[in-house]
Amino acid sequence: MEDSDKKDGFSRRDFLKTTAAGVGLAMTTGKLFGRPFLLTGAGQGRTVMPSDELRVALIGAGEQGRVLLDCCLRIPGIKIAALADIWEYSRNYASGYLNKYGQTPHVYEDYKQLLNSEKDLDAVIIATPDWVHAEQANACLNHGLPVYCEKEMSNSLDQARTMVETARRTGRLLQIGHQRRSNPRYIHAIDKLLHERQIIGRVMIGYAQWNRARAEMLSWPKKYTIPSEILHRYGYNSMEEFRNWRWFKKYGGGPIVDLGSHQIDLFSWAFKANPKSVVASGGIDYYPQREWYDNVMVIYEYDTPTGAARAFYQVQTTTSHGGFYETFMGDNGSLVISEVPQRGDWAYREAHAPDWAPLVREGLIRSEAPPIQKVQTKNVFVDVRVTAEAGRWPLPIELAKPAHQPHLENFFEAIRRGVPLNCPAELAYESAVAVLKVNEAVRNHAYLKFRAEDFKA
Amino acid sequence: MIKGDQEIKMRSLNTTKLLGIILGWSLLLTMSGLASAQSQDKDKVELKIQLPKPMFVGTPRNIKTPNLEPITGKPRGPFYVPAGTQLVSLNKPVTSSDRQPVIGELSYLTDGEKSGEDGYFVELGPGPQWVQIDLKEPYLIQAIVIWHYHSQARVYRDVVVQVSEDKDFINGVVTLFNNDHDNTLGLGAGRDREYIETYEGKLIDGRGTKARYVRLWSNGNTSNDMNHYVEVEVYGLPVK
Repeated sequence: MEDSDKKDGFSRRDFLKTTAAGVGLAMTTGKLFGRPFLLTGAGQGRTVMPSDELRVALIGAGEQGRVLLDCCLRIPGIKIAALADIWEYSRNYASGYLNKYGQTPHVYEDYKQLLNSEKDLDAVIIATPDWVHAEQANACLNHGLPVYCEKEMSNSLDQARTMVETARRTGRLLQIGHQRRSNPRYIHAIDKLLHERQIIGRVMIGYAQWNRARAEMLSWPKKYTIPSEILHRYGYNSMEEFRNWRWFKKYGGGPIVDLGSHQIDLFSWAFKANPKSVVASGGIDYYPQREWYDNVMVIYEYDTPTGAARAFYQVQTTTSHGGFYETFMGDNGSLVISEVPQRGDWAYREAHAPDWAPLVREGLIRSEAPPIQKVQTKNVFVDVRVTAEAGRWPLPIELAKPAHQPHLENFFEAIRRGVPLNCPAELAYESAVAVLKVNEAVRNHAYLKFRAEDFKA
Repeated sequence: MIKGDQEIKMRSLNTTKLLGIILGWSLLLTMSGLASAQSQDKDKVELKIQLPKPMFVGTPRNIKTPNLEPITGKPRGPFYVPAGTQLVSLNKPVTSSDRQPVIGELSYLTDGEKSGEDGYFVELGPGPQWVQIDLKEPYLIQAIVIWHYHSQARVYRDVVVQVSEDKDFINGVVTLFNNDHDNTLGLGAGRDREYIETYEGKLIDGRGTKARYVRLWSNGNTSNDMNHYVEVEVYGLPVK
């Protein structure tokens, strides 16, 4: 087979051979002669240069996998070389999708076969149910491949810890899919406005929610039913559990993990601290046939660098009231943000706060005239502090890409140029500790404390 | 002065009488019009549409698009069609500009199954694509209901719905809906609004147009470049 990458009589593979002596150095330092350098050894054996096309495999080609595929197609120089999924429907869907863009991936049912057969990969994306993340990510890392793995790392902290350990031992990149960590809107809001400029002052309160309307269990056309022997081979009890794995304890962590982990992760980012305690309430109150809590309310306590703080989070699956957003409240103002800007993309200033006009001139926020409101008082005394609500100050950053794309771009830039990952395994593990503890608090009706060492893998 | 005052009074009286006559005739005409409209409505019945389960899954998308119709959150009101109107598209053959769909089959458009989940929709390739339903004989089309993809809030671009008795859509083409406001498809700029997909589907007035073929265009959506169809229902009256 001709090496299509061969230019000027010198291919990537040639380069690898000539730089074999640098392997040890690169594995140790991640850099070669001061330049970003990555080795995908242990059977993969490729050196990736910044301008190289990356050959990527996808494990798990369901709903979320296809979202990530679509993002990859928008990123220059990414080729999906192979994919694996145990459901024929998902395999056909994803490969058909890629075919439309001129990509012809090799298709596998079993990811193990993919890893054994594909010898020229640069990275793997994992978008399977949580309970197999650790097994699959560890296998890929042990094959010398950098991994982008969807959150939650795992529904088991023990399993999540093995992922951190494997990434550390192999020296391979492991990015976890908390995609807000790479979203320029969130980076601006938290790093720039909350941390660097402290525009809302001392942040003492966080609030976030993700409320969804009542929904039936997912079904499937009978002709696409996976034969039971295949389901059992991969550890699934039934097609219904396979399709609705998020609701079953064996495979996932329930709504607090699926939805909450994105937002609870932000609390730690904004507070610059992991929680010191958690108390929660929830239950299987609406969907008796499901194993995970269909509603949860949580309160975390934090010791932040500026003092005590608390955060309240709720996830509801029987009402869409209020949708999903995150709010941070400080003594000089508040900031509301959501992955969908229409639901949150602005700051509020307290009347006593320093003037924000200079921030507008710097382009850090935008100004919006306060809404004119008429209040019908009927001669009842109304406190001006109630009626004179501050105007909104919209944030200036717009993300003109799908929400997951910047996080994938960060992953690929880490491979090509050695930029830091925005959500490496160690950081995501800390988030998993905070989130998975909620289910324990609900189960035991308990006020649970965290120790600092709990967050270390 | 007195005479003058009387003249003014007389003129006022005449003006009042004239206004009264005009108002009277106007009222009569309005009543007659209402009566006519009511008698027309008496011949119509509410179109009963079987709706699928509402469902939204996955991470909601940031929908930013021009020309989007306001979101009211209210259910669609009743739509009236002539008595005898029936579903005429069930199990009728479907063709498409994309002969190799990404997933699913073209027959899904008319199979009566409207679930929004995986396995129930056909996905056509990126860019402008059309599907065409052959009703096998001409009908007086009263309504067309389209479910592109309702498990996620999204907007399909450049939705154009045309009907014709010519299978090649060269002659006698009637455009019933067109929200291609900048004429991307080259079928002419449309004035209809873009809309967010829901389980209710999009109902388009067929205006009693006589046609055998229904062709529907789209050009990707706000989540990806692809074109989807869960179901299309065509309601019509037989041509006598």
